[in-house]
Amino acid sequence: MSDFQPGQTVPIGSPTYNRVLEFLYIEARLLDETRLKEWAATLAEDLLYTAPLRETRPVSQMPASYVRTTQHFEDDWRSIQGRVMRLTGTKSAWAEDPPSRTRRLVTNVMVEQGDKPDELRVRSYLLVTRSRFNFDEFDLISAERQDVLRDVGGTFKLARREILLDQAVLGTPNLAIFL
Amino acid sequence: MLTPTSPTLADGTRIDDLVNLATREVQMRALSDPEIYELEMERIFGRIWVFLGHESEVPNAGDFITRDMGSDSVLITRDKSGEVHVMLNMCTHRGMRVSTLDAGNTQIHTCIYHGWAFRPNGDFLGAPVDKEQMHGKILSKKELGLKRARVTLYGGLIFATWNIDGPSFEEFLGDAKWYYDMLFLRSDKGLEVLGPPQRFTVRANWKAAGEQSAADGYHTLTLHRWLGEVGNYKKDDGGAADLSPEMYGAEVSSPHGHALRCIDLARKIRKLTGKEPNDLSLEEKLLALPPSGMTPEMVPQLKKHLSDGQLQALTWMPPQVGGIFPNVLFGFVYIPQADGTVVGSVTLHAYVPRGPDKLEFVNWILAEKDAPAELRDKMRKQTTRLFGTSGMVEQDDSDTWPHMTLAAKGAQGKKMTLKYQAVYETGKPEGWPGPGIINEGFTKDDTQWHWWLYWRQLMNGEI
Repeated sequence: MSDFQPGQTVPIGSPTYNRVLEFLYIEARLLDETRLKEWAATLAEDLLYTAPLRETRPVSQMPASYVRTTQHFEDDWRSIQGRVMRLTGTKSAWAEDPPSRTRRLVTNVMVEQGDKPDELRVRSYLLVTRSRFNFDEFDLISAERQDVLRDVGGTFKLARREILLDQAVLGTPNLAIFL
Repeated sequence: MLTPTSPTLADGTRIDDLVNLATREVQMRALSDPEIYELEMERIFGRIWVFLGHESEVPNAGDFITRDMGSDSVLITRDKSGEVHVMLNMCTHRGMRVSTLDAGNTQIHTCIYHGWAFRPNGDFLGAPVDKEQMHGKILSKKELGLKRARVTLYGGLIFATWNIDGPSFEEFLGDAKWYYDMLFLRSDKGLEVLGPPQRFTVRANWKAAGEQSAADGYHTLTLHRWLGEVGNYKKDDGGAADLSPEMYGAEVSSPHGHALRCIDLARKIRKLTGKEPNDLSLEEKLLALPPSGMTPEMVPQLKKHLSDGQLQALTWMPPQVGGIFPNVLFGFVYIPQADGTVVGSVTLHAYVPRGPDKLEFVNWILAEKDAPAELRDKMRKQTTRLFGTSGMVEQDDSDTWPHMTLAAKGAQGKKMTLKYQAVYETGKPEGWPGPGIINEGFTKDDTQWHWWLYWRQLMNGEI
C-alpha cells in the first residue's frame, strides 16, 4: 500500500466513509462476540491476511522494521476457513476455549480509492484488549490495519488485510484470535 | 575429590530434595521459585552451550543481531574474516547496551552513552577524545574488549557458552549427535532461516516449555486433540479423534537432557505408495517420502552425508520432534496436505527465560538452502499456520504453561510434584542402527526424566 497522502482520502462523514466504518464496526462486533462463521462470510475468496514481524531498527532504517520474509500470520481464504473450523468445529481448541474476552477498538479510519473501481483502501488503528481466565492483566495488541475492501453487489468483502503490529516481541501468548 | 553439596535454598530445602530419584517426581516449586531461577541463570545458562540463532541471520561481514543468552543480552556479529562472534551486549565502560537494535550492519559498534567503540570481534577500538585517554591507564585496551563467549557453529546453528574451558559442543551433544546430524548435517548446502524469528511473551516459567521439548509425545493426544477432529489428520473413527496410533515409534534419551522422538513412517509410506514399506528398498522409501524439507532430487545428497545406519533410521523412524537441552525444540515434521501429498515443516524454538514467571518464545522457520522456491514458500506458510505465534498447534501449548506456573506458586501446589512414572520397559528396537538410550513403543516419560536428571546435576554443580 502506498504511503498515506493527506488530502486524498474519501471525506470523513461521507456516505462511502460511513459504509466503511459500519463494516469495520460490525466486523469488530462479530469477532468480539466470537461469531466467527459470520465473520468468515465477509471475506473475499482471494483474501490475503498477513501480519509482518517487527524489528527494532534505527530511524534511518524504518522500512526494515517491517519484516515480511517471515510473519506472524500468512493466511489466505482457505487457511482462514481452516482456523475458523478448528475454533468452531472441534471440542479441543483450548487456546480460545474458554474464549478470551476481547474488545476491538477501531479508530483513526482513513479511506482512499483503491486500485480498482470497486475497491477501497482502508487504514485503521486497532487496539485489542484481551482478557483470559481470571488474570488481572490485559494483553494489549495494538496495530494499524491496511485493508482492501471490495464492493460486491452493495456489500463489502475483505480482500486484503495487513496487520502492522507495534510490538517487536508480542505481549500475548498466541494469536489464536483474529485482528 | 571434593564432592559438591547440593545448594540449599533460603528455607533449608536442597536442590536434591526437589528431585525424587526413587519415585521419579519433581517438586512443582521448581516451576516458579525465584531463588531456583537465579541459580539456573548461573549454573545452567551461565555454563552450558546455549542456542542463539542461525548463521544465515548474519550472512555478511559487519552483520549483527542481538539475542538473549539466559538473562543476558548478547551481540552476535560476523567479522571481515567471516567468523561469527558472540559477546555480552554491554559496554565495558558503564554497562550500557552496546546495541539497542534487533539487527543491523556496522564495522564499528559505538556505545551511544560515552562513545566507546568496539570492532565486530569485540576488540576495544577507543574512546572519544583520544588525547585525554578517557579509558584511563589502569587497564590496557586489550582488557577493555567486550566479554566474549565461546562459539560453535553446528550445521549453521549458533551455540555459545560462557564456560570457556568447558566441554566441547560435541561432548555436550554426546550420543544424540548421531541423530541431530541426520537433521542438521544432511545436505550439501545446509539449512537457512527463511527470515527473522517470531517472538512473543508467555507468562510461564521457561522449564514448563523446556521439559515438554524433551520429547513429550503424550500431550499431543489430548492438548492437540483437534488435529484428529478436523483438517488433514482427521480420523474417521466416529468422532473419537484418537491420535494414539501417531504416538508409536522410538524415543532417544540423553544423559545431557537431549531428546528425540523418532516416529514410525510405515503408515505414511503405505498411504503414499500403496505398498508395504518392507517391500520397498531404502532408495524407494527415500524417494516416496524424502525427509522433511527435502525433495526427491535432493536424496543423493543424503547418501553423501549420512551413514548407512542413519539412512536406515531416516526411512524407518526418523527424528521428527525433540529438544536440545535446556530450552530448544526442533520440529522436522511431515504435514499431510488436502491433495494427498506431504509438505515438510522445519522449525526451531528457543524458550528464553525472562524471570521465574515469564518466557520469550522465539520461533525460527527454516528450509534447505537449495530447496526450490515453491517448496520453501509452502513450508513457510504451513509452518506459520501450525507453529509459533498464530500456529494452530502451538497456541494451545502457550495457553497451558502459564497455568502450571501459577499452580507452582500455591502454598500447597508448590509441594506437589510433576510425575515421570510412565517408564519404558522395551529397550532398543530390534536391529536399530543408532547409539544412545533408546526405547521402542508408545511414547513414555523417560526422555523428560533424563532432562530433569541433567538439570539436577547442573544445579548441584556436579558438572
